[in-house]
Amino acid sequence: MALFPIVSNFERDFVLQLVPVDTENTMDEVAAAAAHHSVGRRVRPQPDKVVRVRRQGASDFFPRQSKLSETDIKPMETLEFIFADA
Amino acid sequence: MALLERHEWYDIARSTNWTPKYVTDEELFPDVMSGAKGVAAEKWEVYDEPYKTSYPEYVRIQREKDAGAYSVKAALERSRIFEDADPGWRSILKAHYGAIAVGEYAAMSAEARMTRFGRAPGMRNMATFGLMDENRHAQLQLYFPHEYVSKDRQFDWAHKAYHTNEWAAIAARHTFDDLFLARSATDIAVMLTFAFETGFTNMQFLGLAADAAETGDFTFSSLISSIQTDESRHAQIGGPALQVLIANGRKAEAQKLVDVAIARAWRIFGVLTGPSMDYNTPLEHRKQSFKEFMQEWIVGQFERSLIDLGLDLPWYWDKMIAEFDYQHHAYQMGLWFWRPTLWWNPAAGVTPECREWLEEKYPGWNASFGQAWDVIIDNLANGRPELTGPETLPIVCNMSQLPICAIPGDGWNVKDYPLEYQGRLYHFNSEIDRWIFEQDPSRYRDHMTLVDRFLAGKIQPPDLMGALMYMNLQPGEMGDDAHGYKWMEAYAKPKAAE
Repeated sequence: MALFPIVSNFERDFVLQLVPVDTENTMDEVAAAAAHHSVGRRVRPQPDKVVRVRRQGASDFFPRQSKLSETDIKPMETLEFIFADA
Repeated sequence: MALLERHEWYDIARSTNWTPKYVTDEELFPDVMSGAKGVAAEKWEVYDEPYKTSYPEYVRIQREKDAGAYSVKAALERSRIFEDADPGWRSILKAHYGAIAVGEYAAMSAEARMTRFGRAPGMRNMATFGLMDENRHAQLQLYFPHEYVSKDRQFDWAHKAYHTNEWAAIAARHTFDDLFLARSATDIAVMLTFAFETGFTNMQFLGLAADAAETGDFTFSSLISSIQTDESRHAQIGGPALQVLIANGRKAEAQKLVDVAIARAWRIFGVLTGPSMDYNTPLEHRKQSFKEFMQEWIVGQFERSLIDLGLDLPWYWDKMIAEFDYQHHAYQMGLWFWRPTLWWNPAAGVTPECREWLEEKYPGWNASFGQAWDVIIDNLANGRPELTGPETLPIVCNMSQLPICAIPGDGWNVKDYPLEYQGRLYHFNSEIDRWIFEQDPSRYRDHMTLVDRFLAGKIQPPDLMGALMYMNLQPGEMGDDAHGYKWMEAYAKPKAAE
């Protein structure tokens, strides 16, 4: 377990934000941490969707249950958080 | 004996080049300070400043200007303009004085460098007056708002803003240090006087002067108009320097300096003047939108100056013009959302009438920025103010030191422009900001943004309160909505009627 800062680029929000997460967090948990700072603040919730995580510019999402420590994401890398069908 | 006319003695009097006997020319004018770029001393002697003045003439005119500005201030001192002005207008004054006044001393230091190390005698002569101008601007802009210090703590804070780690102050310092302080005389002539002053100060000083007059703040209007008359004179130092560089095969070097300076100036004016004109100035007093102003002064007039001198438009010109549509709206949203981190109270500027105006001036505003504001408005209307403030830091650009931001909602185009350099990951707001870094990485690489400092443990406790303490903002000083959320009445009423 270790604190791990990432950069959140959340779909439909206007700004990149610093989000502290943990290396043991799953992608769903990372997405929830990022959503906390965007959804309901400047981005309308989309209850019928889930938020998926991908590298900036990538088309594929990381698997929802994969842990941050299992990926090659680097500290302070910019991740895109995208509303997707559940 | 009759005095000679100025034109009869001027050329001889300013021919101050000589052949040094005790030191070498290189020791007298080290290239790191003069920035002559290998252009020989005699080539610089053709430098011909378009505006000529003598010391007695300068003193006489400046005395008249000061008398004018101070008499307007004295005449209006007992008026209630300050108390009666819209709070959004007071916020403009606080932001302006905090970000600009002490920065004028940086400009004075830059003019002094041209006075001593300028390769052309004419440049040294003009810059002597320029440094006195900038000293005047710093003193005027520290003295004029001093009468407000007893009325409002944020005006007191504005006086010290430049000496703090407040994020906007860091952004201003980073830009001004780059363009004014840490450059050679020739680079300053190009970057400060040509790019920054010819291109951009018109906006802050002419645009805001017009808005100030409309608002009834004639003290501020006359003050900054008076400053602008100095600027338009000493801004002419850069043009002939560029002519010398271009004539001697240094166009590429000159072009790069211009391109860097315009890009950096655009960011600072985007965050300072953009929200001032389109959000903080009360709707009824707005003369032009920020975009219209940019199109008139930067695209219309400055573009012509570049071409006339034989320069090209910067490679990013179209990208920058595209940003006129959105970048300052994004900065405005950041200023308002992170309002506790400011020394002024930003006006939201999003009443239904304001939004109509924004939609007219910036078609698509409601579908993009408007959607994000809708969520904020919804939270305020439904008793969730805690969701209208920040709980984390925005990522700031490693060049501009401003939040990396762009269009929300429909047309979402927010993107990081990262760069890994010597093992460190940098973040930039655009290709343009990243390009500036790449031109001279060793110049910029060691600077730590506010976020870098946070991650390095320099901000304790590591939360928003810790960040506010790091910025030295105390309760009663930190920003809040300029109108105390009164603008929300327009949204609350229809709901209550439903």
